[in-house]
Amino acid sequence: MAVTRFGSLAARAPVPIFAAIGPGRQADVERLLARRGLRRAHSPRDAAVLLVSGDLPDDMLEALSRVHAQLPHPRATVRWIDETADEIADRLRDAWHDLCAGVTDEEDRLPDVPPNEWKGVGPHGQGGEGMMGGTPYGRSMAMTGPDIRDGLQLDRYTARIGPFAPMLPPGLVLEVTLQGDVICDATVANAAFAQPAGADAPELCAGRVVRLLGLEAAADRLIEGKRPGAVWLRGAVPSGLGLAEGTEARGRLGAWLAGEVVTVAPVDLPDFLEGAEWSEAALLLASLPPSAIIRATRPTEVA
Amino acid sequence: MVTIGIIVGWTAIAAALVVLLAPAAKSTGPQAMPFLGGGTPDTHAWQRYHFRPYTMALLFIAFEMEMMFMYPWAVVFVSEGIKALAEMGMFLAILSVGILYGWREGIFRWQ
Repeated sequence: MAVTRFGSLAARAPVPIFAAIGPGRQADVERLLARRGLRRAHSPRDAAVLLVSGDLPDDMLEALSRVHAQLPHPRATVRWIDETADEIADRLRDAWHDLCAGVTDEEDRLPDVPPNEWKGVGPHGQGGEGMMGGTPYGRSMAMTGPDIRDGLQLDRYTARIGPFAPMLPPGLVLEVTLQGDVICDATVANAAFAQPAGADAPELCAGRVVRLLGLEAAADRLIEGKRPGAVWLRGAVPSGLGLAEGTEARGRLGAWLAGEVVTVAPVDLPDFLEGAEWSEAALLLASLPPSAIIRATRPTEVA
Repeated sequence: MVTIGIIVGWTAIAAALVVLLAPAAKSTGPQAMPFLGGGTPDTHAWQRYHFRPYTMALLFIAFEMEMMFMYPWAVVFVSEGIKALAEMGMFLAILSVGILYGWREGIFRWQ
């Protein structure tokens, strides 16, 4: 009894949705998730419903099942192929109500085993050589390399981030090597998905930057075309950041807030991001219109 | 007796709350991985990084300790005389090793 009452209370909260955005659907999904009653979750752990939109390429399905496995139980998946936004919003709410009532759940697609087995030197899986030795859960410890700022020997951590990382453009897989939080090497492992020109709309671009700054409500209001309800948003972006073609990140945000479309020639993305801290890099990417990032990551199609 | 009762009772309440309020959901293997938006890491997330302000902290503590002990030393300096001077000399010599180390690490190179 008490459980159902808690469930019905929880069902009134905004639906926590993690969006896996496919080719051509960025603008639709961003407008959908700005609606009242839907909430864009920061991570799968924070979400209950996985929204998969568009036709994902086959090589992205493994990444999708990794994201799916990271949603906590009970969870639901909603596919968005060619329904209208209203239909999908209703389906998302229905899925959330069913989850809160405790009637539905989804099984794991990935086996419940550690992604890599523990391998050590000793007979009980222990040991290795000092801090850098051993392979806890199949992954080696980070090895040192010269720091890009002053040449100190520091640990380098390499990971592929994306294609569904909420702080990166959809589809973009960045292979970054980090020392602390400083990017010392970045390569594009997979290009961002192609998006129609609608993704460059000023209110969506401004919403992306403002959401990254943590002002969720202001971002939702911007996307709905209202005043953001926050003063001096430009000031939240440091000046002198993200110079591209004579404009900087703050100037581009200012133009978007004024309702102007910004076009930027494709930048050399690895060069653009190296030396930035991770949070700064996310802000740099959000400060570029999607068309610039798509052209920057797909050099062969432009030529 | 009352004190022990309060301590034991309070501990029991805290332990019971931990057990009662623990989330029911358990992490599966894939959930224990870091969230990289579907990506995978090459190395373990445990990495050592440089705490760059540490030389600054070293310099601050060296000078702060110096001043902290110099105030009481100044009170007794006149009555103790040359002995106090020698003791403070030794103390300052030890602290200045720390300052020299900071110098070698580049703390005085302002950028």
